[in-house]
Amino acid sequence: MDARRISVVLAMVVMYIAVPLLLGSNLYVMSLLVASIAIGGVALAWALLGNLGGMVSFGHAAFFGVGSYVSALLTMKLGVPVFAAMLLGGVGAAVASIAMLPTLRLKGPYFALAILAYAQIFRILATEWKSVTGGSGGLSSIPRLPEIAGFDFGSKIGNYLVIVSIVLIFALIYQRIRASHYGTALRAMHDSEDATRVVGVNSTLLKAMMLFVSAFMTGVIGAFNAHYINFLEPDYGFSGLWSTLPIVAAIFGGYRTILGPVIGAVFVYLVDQLVFKSFIPSGHQIMLGALLAGMVLFSPTGLLPWIVEKFKRSRNAPA
Amino acid sequence: MTELIFQAIYSGLLQGGSYALIALGLALVFGTMKVINLAHGELVLLAAYIAYAVESAFNVSPIVAIPVALVVVCISALLVYLLVDRIKKDRELNSLILTYGIGVMITNAILLIWKADIRSTKSAWLQDAVVLGPFYSMRSELGFFILSLVLMGLLWWWLSKSWYGRAVRAVASNRDAAKLMGINPRTTEIVSFVVAGILAAFAGVALYSYGVIQPPLGHALTVKAFIITVLAGVGSIPGVLAGALLLGVVEALTVTLLSSALQEIAGMGLFLLVLFVMPNGLFGTAARRG
Repeated sequence: MDARRISVVLAMVVMYIAVPLLLGSNLYVMSLLVASIAIGGVALAWALLGNLGGMVSFGHAAFFGVGSYVSALLTMKLGVPVFAAMLLGGVGAAVASIAMLPTLRLKGPYFALAILAYAQIFRILATEWKSVTGGSGGLSSIPRLPEIAGFDFGSKIGNYLVIVSIVLIFALIYQRIRASHYGTALRAMHDSEDATRVVGVNSTLLKAMMLFVSAFMTGVIGAFNAHYINFLEPDYGFSGLWSTLPIVAAIFGGYRTILGPVIGAVFVYLVDQLVFKSFIPSGHQIMLGALLAGMVLFSPTGLLPWIVEKFKRSRNAPA
Repeated sequence: MTELIFQAIYSGLLQGGSYALIALGLALVFGTMKVINLAHGELVLLAAYIAYAVESAFNVSPIVAIPVALVVVCISALLVYLLVDRIKKDRELNSLILTYGIGVMITNAILLIWKADIRSTKSAWLQDAVVLGPFYSMRSELGFFILSLVLMGLLWWWLSKSWYGRAVRAVASNRDAAKLMGINPRTTEIVSFVVAGILAAFAGVALYSYGVIQPPLGHALTVKAFIITVLAGVGSIPGVLAGALLLGVVEALTVTLLSSALQEIAGMGLFLLVLFVMPNGLFGTAARRG
């Protein structure tokens, strides 16, 4: 086995066995971990759209919110099993992204701003469509994750294992897409979209597919979050935080890597909750904004890739 | 009912004046630098809060705050410029992320300094009714609408007659050719940020003088300014003014005929319609497509 395999196995052992065994009894730490990994999943979906699709989104809160509402309503009103509803939440978010398709013909800043506007619209819709969503009062007692074959997925450890698995599966999907010929075409589009179209790649379709995949992933995570905290209201489900945090995390961890955004999310979320929030209780997002601006200015490819680069250089440097 | 509708159209038109100032600032900066300043709405909101701060501290009319707002917002706009200017690689996307971050910082700084409460002016003089034939408005609404028309006239004069204004237009239409004509693009970039700051300062004080403000508003203003530039297509001051007036009227009609909560959706509906039907905007011909 090469070093890469060994590190993968080690990481799996740490995530699936060591963390639950060592930290499982500490409910506060586990809840921080679950929340941060969930944000990591959104950051991964955001980075997929940014890296492969070349699109910067400021509106992932829209997908997050739609996913959470679809799943919560399906379980509460129609009695759909929770795990199935979570998948359908992802489908719902992907369907919602169809409404964004006309924006795909806009480039760069225009796309980014259009998607920013969409997030606001979805929040207003959730607030106003009272008969279905319960309006601004929100939904409470959303079913928790079920107990299957004697294992309670609704427990802190169960929640943790579920979200870790979801994010890992997403990372695998991401990797597969990147390695496929779609990934090659998408990379080519990054260099010159016109040239790629000339050789017969349907660039708009590919971008649309990336938008669907990213929306689906974000929707599933939103759905998980709804069943995890059992409560939902428009200002929470569609909170701008679900757009901001993943961007900070992805930029911090390096949005051109697959796991960078996830690691970035865990780090940024923990620092935000433990450090920023303790000395600026309301308005601690100011630090996130500063972090984001600082990252883009000083290390736009991300801090983690930068550290890895330094590390490699110092190791390769002649002693 | 028809009276109500006419009244709504009138109020919407007045509101459109400030919208136009905001959208013109966004468009100016985009013209010279090809950068969309996502913190632009936050700069406008900053001016509005300065009007609030000056009013509540010295018990004077918010209009007195205009010079203060001008200074603070222009300095902030310059700071944004200096930061954006540092980005050399992948400028289009990185500057979006940067200005988004700056916007988050400004919104939260406002939240920290002035709290999350909704604020509006206490000046009775500004809120007095002005009756123009069958139409009612607040003194502040009509006054700032006229002021915004004057400002747009000045801007038009500046862009078409003055050396700097023409340099801004030259850089916007062809950067390299402008350089060959001896124009320093950096200077025009700075000038465009400052002019955008001036317009934002007036718009912010106007918003506070006839409306209510709260921290999340900055974000919404950026979106509105963007919708207007899409409506207007690339370019002209009359186009932006028409787009802004249209947005103001559509919003006001939605509030009157449907519900105030749907106000923002109205703008979006208009935006989508234009995207589907006339992707180059209502008044533009230049391409935004890839």
